Amino acid sequence: MGGERIDTRLLEELTEQSQDLNSDAVRITAEALGDFTEVTREQSSRRWWQRGGVVAGAAGSAAVLTSLRAVAATSSDDVKALQTAASIENLAISVYQTAAGLPFIKDGNKTVAAFIAKTTTQHQAHAQAFNAAAAQAGGKAQSGPDPKYAAVVKKALPSIKTPADVVALAITLEDVAAQTYTKNVGQVSSTELRKLFASVAPVEAQHRATLLAVQALLAGNLGDLIAIPTNAAKLPAAAGSVGFPDAFYPTKSASPITEGAVK
Amino acid sequence: MTATRDDWELPISEEQLARLTRDMEAAHRDTLPAMRASAVDLTDDIRSRRAAPADGPRDPGRRRFLLGAGGVAAGLALAACSSNNKKTPASSGKAASTTPSASASASAAGTYTGDLKVVALAVALENQAVGAYQATLAAAKAGKLGKVPPAVATFVTTAMAQHTDHAKAWNAVLTGAGKPAITNVPLSNQPATLAALGKAATVGDVAQLALQLEDQAAQTYLFATYNVTSPAGIATAASIAPVEAMHAAILNFVLGQYPVPADFLPTDKAASPTLLTV
Repeated sequence: MGGERIDTRLLEELTEQSQDLNSDAVRITAEALGDFTEVTREQSSRRWWQRGGVVAGAAGSAAVLTSLRAVAATSSDDVKALQTAASIENLAISVYQTAAGLPFIKDGNKTVAAFIAKTTTQHQAHAQAFNAAAAQAGGKAQSGPDPKYAAVVKKALPSIKTPADVVALAITLEDVAAQTYTKNVGQVSSTELRKLFASVAPVEAQHRATLLAVQALLAGNLGDLIAIPTNAAKLPAAAGSVGFPDAFYPTKSASPITEGAVK
Repeated sequence: MTATRDDWELPISEEQLARLTRDMEAAHRDTLPAMRASAVDLTDDIRSRRAAPADGPRDPGRRRFLLGAGGVAAGLALAACSSNNKKTPASSGKAASTTPSASASASAAGTYTGDLKVVALAVALENQAVGAYQATLAAAKAGKLGKVPPAVATFVTTAMAQHTDHAKAWNAVLTGAGKPAITNVPLSNQPATLAALGKAATVGDVAQLALQLEDQAAQTYLFATYNVTSPAGIATAASIAPVEAMHAAILNFVLGQYPVPADFLPTDKAASPTLLTV
């Protein structure tokens, strides 16, 4: 993990580009959440035949149709799924923040430290989005961690001595998040919530892919290749494929929607 | 112990590499039964919807009836609905920037409708990716790309195998619904993609093009999750989008770019069903 080879100017540029992309994505998500709020409000003020009238009046407007599909669908299960998702995000934020303060992370590979910092902010954005959607659906925001995996983290913390240990724990959490949200896409009852979960699951999967590649490089004593830009010519063959082990993202380890729900 | 091939020293042992490959293959195979089951569910969904009388009662459990009843509505929704940003999918994406012709749209509406149109688009995108990776391997073998890093070679072969599996699964849905399988790339942006591949002179060139295709695929599946009507179709699209996104993450890393550029996967590069030419 002794790699110090990093182009800080390039990293700053990449960070700036990433922030621009982030701003766009946050705006899109905010709009989606706005739609969700709007249709949830409509639900309480319109009967189904009145909603049909709106559909007829807006014939051809797919946006309206898809929004209305969400109306009758918001349920307590949706709120539970959102709260559980927020609990997973809260735990991930906590773990990454703790990891960022560890000496071998803080004073170690700069790219790993930058990845942890960026990933923390991404999980914070996810937690905010899930909690905002839960609140808009009439539920409470979840500020606590997922209890099942909080216990896993608590058990693992004393044995964390190296960057590889941190990476292994982070892979577990990212995989649980990705599997849970992938499954949630088919469980929630509104278009807007499907969109929300389906837009977050791939990001957690990307975190996992990156961490799997980092893990392989650490295992091969190739920490100096954990850099942006890296030296692609020197990457081992495994680094090209270890990041995506499944052709279809699994859901067998997905957390049930009640796991992190507010009691 | 490390292995030496030509003048280059493999920085991990062959044993480690073989073990990692075996683990990956095993994990990959583990997912296939679930995928096949999902494809069967999707086919059943589509069959049952087609078998139901047009004016008869609908299964209230199929809550996405608004699109299902319309037939072409899913396609219309995909074309017209990109959250609130008023953009048609792929209208700004480089890999899908070719404007579809009116005749292509009309013929697409005739052969594959409703959810099947989205499935057809998925097959076409998967075939496009497989073809691009096959062309990359051929160009590499012919020495047209210079020296290909080992990580890039394994990326190409593994990603290509996964895209092949995706295409098979979606084609099973098409044939199960009585429609012809799609074995080519019936997309109006394919000529531009082939031209870009033909011009590629370096590994970086093809990696950049592959990144466009992976982004396009991931974002199209994201778009599909909230625009198809079948629960099995939604679940299938949801299970593939993260995999394409993972491909993109590794390509970004190889290209020297940040691997997770967005907090939420966007849809500005999603392909429109109007790209279909069948």
